[in-house]
Amino acid sequence: MMEKTHIIEQGYLELYVLGELNESDTQQVEAALIAYPELKTMLDVIEANFEKLGFENAVEPRPSLKNELLNNLNNSKIKQLKHTSNKSNIKPLGIAASIAALLLVGSVYLFLQWNTSKEQLKLVEDQNRELNIKIDQLSKDFEESKALLSNINNPNTKKYVLLGNDLMPNAKVISYVNDEDKTVFINTTLLPELDEKQDYQMWADVNGEMINMGIIKTEEPLLAMNYIENSESLNITIEPAGGSDHPTVSNLITNIYIR
Amino acid sequence: MDNEKDLISKLKSKDESALGLLYDKYSAALYGIIIRICKDEGLAENLLQDTFMTIWKKSDAYDDRKGRFYTWAYRIAKNKALNAIRKDKKLIQTEDLSVYKSKTEEQNIDIDHLKLKGAIKRLETHHQKAIELVYFNGLTHREANEEMGVPLGTFKSYIKQALKQLQELYIKVVTFIMILIEVIR
Repeated sequence: MMEKTHIIEQGYLELYVLGELNESDTQQVEAALIAYPELKTMLDVIEANFEKLGFENAVEPRPSLKNELLNNLNNSKIKQLKHTSNKSNIKPLGIAASIAALLLVGSVYLFLQWNTSKEQLKLVEDQNRELNIKIDQLSKDFEESKALLSNINNPNTKKYVLLGNDLMPNAKVISYVNDEDKTVFINTTLLPELDEKQDYQMWADVNGEMINMGIIKTEEPLLAMNYIENSESLNITIEPAGGSDHPTVSNLITNIYIR
Repeated sequence: MDNEKDLISKLKSKDESALGLLYDKYSAALYGIIIRICKDEGLAENLLQDTFMTIWKKSDAYDDRKGRFYTWAYRIAKNKALNAIRKDKKLIQTEDLSVYKSKTEEQNIDIDHLKLKGAIKRLETHHQKAIELVYFNGLTHREANEEMGVPLGTFKSYIKQALKQLQELYIKVVTFIMILIEVIR
């Protein structure tokens, strides 16, 4: 803080009233004014003299200026109000709208992503299910093939080749008969295709009576037939689709005696 | 004074009628300062309005412990007027020096109207001049002492002496009026 005498001698009070002091000097003078009441009294006198001087030399402004000022005041108030309302409402609203828009866009994007993922997952699940079915089928086929192979390879299995007669000279059927396990398998790869109205049917001859061994499904290369005890021969006839209870002997295409 | 305190506290609470009353009281004195600095009626009117708008908006910044309301308002008015003429001068000077010259010659103002009146007229000439330069023309002490061709210290003592004489004159006036009042009674 400045010394009281320094302030007085250097004319700081006059400079203070005239507004000529810089910020730091102003603060120092103001501090001194609080600290020394006599300084404040001196300031009051200087201020009062300058003020009187001002009043003595007053110049009346144009009378309508006052109304213009008060109108300007109201205009600036309205502007301020508009300004603050802009600030207080529209700006936050704008921000909120922007955030909402971003959230909406984000949501749509995530929804589309989610849908795509869902479709992909469904596709994968379907493929997986198909693969599982295929695997089941293959393992089942494999087990069957293994069983067939072991059966065919079995030393107790006897192999008979049935050759087509004049009715169907190209026909050839291989049959595997196992009397121990009581199984019959036939290979039908060389059996010509029939039309839809006809089926091949296999018969076993037991004491002169033809017993049904089953319909031959030519689409399967190797298939199991019914094993019939004490069969003397194996016979294949062409029957109406679905098979018959008794063989149509005129349609016998091949036969072979066994044992 | 209490009346003025009330007015100012109303001003701070944004009471328009308070601004109107303060305008009635101080506008002419402030206009006297502004027009003597800028010497242009149209500009001075704008600056006076601007001054009162600042008084209105910045009323919170006024602290009566730091001085009189008039002193605060005077500083605002003076600064606005000085800024306006500085801006004006700068503008004209960068464009054409001759325009500035012709402008200063053709002031659209009645100079007699601005001649100083009252107690200041009873001061010695150099004291009058010193007060006029710093108070009514808005010059700084440094500018003013150069203008008068005296050292800064001397100039400061001119101001002090002038104020002291003014004080004595005002006391005499007050005493005279009081005596006058007593006589009339």
